[in-house]
Amino acid sequence: MLKVQNLTKEFNNVVAVNNISFEIHPGKIFGLLGPNGAGKTTTIRMILNIIKPTQGSIEFNGKKTQRGFENLIGYLPEERGLYKKSKVIDVLRYFGELKGLSKQEALKEATAWLRRLDIESYLARRIEELSKGNQQKIQFITAVIHDPEILILDEPFSGFDPINQQLVKEILLEMVQKEKLILLSTHQMEVAENLCSSILLMNNGLEVLSGSLSEIKRNFGSNLYRIEFEGDSSALYAISLAEVIHENGNSAEIKLKDGVQPHEFLRCAVDKLKVSHFSEVEPTLNKIFLQSVKTKGSQPEARTER
Amino acid sequence: MKKIMKIALFEFMEKIKTRAFLVFMILFPLIVIAISIVPTMLVDTKEEITHPVGVLDLTGRYLGGIARQLNEYKLADGQPNYIVINLSSSGKTPGEMKSFADKLVLDGSIDGYLMVEPRQSDSVSVSYRNRNLGGFNDLPRFEKIFNNVYSSVRLLRHGFNPVEIQRLISNVPLKPVKIEQPSGSKETSFETMYFSSIIFLMLLFMMILFSGGLLIRSVVEEKSNRIIEILLSSCTPDELLTGKILGLGMLGLFQIFVWAVIALALLGGNYIPLEIFDGIGLSMLYFVLGYLFYTAIFVGVGSVVTTEQEAQHFTGYLSIVLILPLVISLKVIQTPDILLVKILSLIPFTSPPIMLLRIKVMTPPVWEIILSTLILILSIYLTIMITSKIFRIGILSYGKRPTLKELVAWIKEK
Repeated sequence: MLKVQNLTKEFNNVVAVNNISFEIHPGKIFGLLGPNGAGKTTTIRMILNIIKPTQGSIEFNGKKTQRGFENLIGYLPEERGLYKKSKVIDVLRYFGELKGLSKQEALKEATAWLRRLDIESYLARRIEELSKGNQQKIQFITAVIHDPEILILDEPFSGFDPINQQLVKEILLEMVQKEKLILLSTHQMEVAENLCSSILLMNNGLEVLSGSLSEIKRNFGSNLYRIEFEGDSSALYAISLAEVIHENGNSAEIKLKDGVQPHEFLRCAVDKLKVSHFSEVEPTLNKIFLQSVKTKGSQPEARTER
Repeated sequence: MKKIMKIALFEFMEKIKTRAFLVFMILFPLIVIAISIVPTMLVDTKEEITHPVGVLDLTGRYLGGIARQLNEYKLADGQPNYIVINLSSSGKTPGEMKSFADKLVLDGSIDGYLMVEPRQSDSVSVSYRNRNLGGFNDLPRFEKIFNNVYSSVRLLRHGFNPVEIQRLISNVPLKPVKIEQPSGSKETSFETMYFSSIIFLMLLFMMILFSGGLLIRSVVEEKSNRIIEILLSSCTPDELLTGKILGLGMLGLFQIFVWAVIALALLGGNYIPLEIFDGIGLSMLYFVLGYLFYTAIFVGVGSVVTTEQEAQHFTGYLSIVLILPLVISLKVIQTPDILLVKILSLIPFTSPPIMLLRIKVMTPPVWEIILSTLILILSIYLTIMITSKIFRIGILSYGKRPTLKELVAWIKEK
């Protein structure tokens, strides 16, 4: 388990990350979400020990991270880059060796991954000769070549076409099966919604929301329901237990008033209409995010990412 | 430590494979050889054509002697080197003869002419009038010839016979000899000494600028495409820095090795003087230390600059510092123990090149060698310490170049 506590980073009196805490568990994908400039990358860099936190601690399996910890992490940075003039296999071998693999292991793993991602034939090519998508694959391999315990992925799907996005997703799920710890940083809420079991929403360096995804959704409890029916829709408006958000002939979205249970409303509705469908409308993460950012954690302050 | 070696090895292998490096490594010695050997070869080549040279002897006493001696110089194929033309004619004033002779020179009929003019009492003045002042070989010859003739004519008037005169005025050539041990000696010429000392300086100079440029470019590249983040998530900044300096050091040693092989090959062909290998141990010491010192500076700068253009500006400034020893190299060789040279021998920026020069001319006192080496090693250590601090923060700051104040803050930061 990776435990981050009260992590804070200041740059020249600007607080880039402000008292952030979270845990990542084996076999789970943790989503670090937020708009650009929220402090996600700074948080990641502190976990990677690229920069030192002003305050706070990072523990792995109950111990403070120390020398050698970097070999357990695989990192896919948001901005991609490789040695353009170098050969694919040389670059993979170098990054593998830097993560503690021996030369033989690095070569073996590199070849296996190239085969897996279907670009084995580029082994001896220079990076610059590869297409952008294939360069992204090479970059992805550098993050996973040493079979890391912790995988930190910053916007992993950007730059991939749908087919390769699927491929990356499969590899991620495989990692989940192997009980790895995965941190996924993104501002694409749909991606997080699909993959993450728990998330932390950041804005302006502050935590906006955190917890397991289902819990967050439940707590957010928008009390929105969707109803499909036959009959005169004006009957819906007559029910005092709820407010009609919008309605089009034989379906509508309604919001229950505070304290009203769904079955109470349904009972009234069934009396007047022929109901064919009634279900809770789950708020999308996007909606939750937008609403949360609006209500708290927003400081109208220009920020620079470092 | 293992990671440092991996980094060093990668840096070394990737740089060595670049075309720029290969071209530099092979081309550069050729250029050095060309600019240092070709002039000597040109001067030393035997003349191949006969030169018409005039003599305007207004005293009428020296023409015969000069002509006879000039005729003794032969070309390689046995033809005379000079054709002597008598320019004095009766019935003309000296001024007329002079302007006629000048005209002949200007229209190219003769290379130039020796003019002997009488002065008060017994003395004369002699000049060689020609269009260009060249003629490395000609001028000393003419001077020698005239003085021989001048002396013998006067001795003749004092009643000596020609055989006696020949003996009296025979010349003894001066041989420069460099002393390294008591009573041990080695013949050398100023040219070979100058060349053999300056060649190390040029090698150091070019290597620093070239590899420094490579280094800055690679750091700037890693910064701009954010490879640096992957590297730093795998190793510490200090490991990265040390690895890079070591890798470049290996590159430097490899270069020296290749060049040494080329030098040895050329030695066989007598193209370069053996003096190059004088004091090679001490030279190598300063060479390596100087190289490390400048490399460390280049890494620090590379971490701060954000574009290649900025990098080039900086390389420009550094090359001015580096070129200073070249500018004063002649002075250093002529007077290796003046105060200025001693001071420059202690400043880490200039001590390697200055010491490289001094070692060739005259081994500096032991205390100076030890002191300057210690200062240099200490400076390298301090530079790497400071550089690593700048590097640690500099490589992660993109966009704007830090101000001096920020740099100082970085260095102070723990």
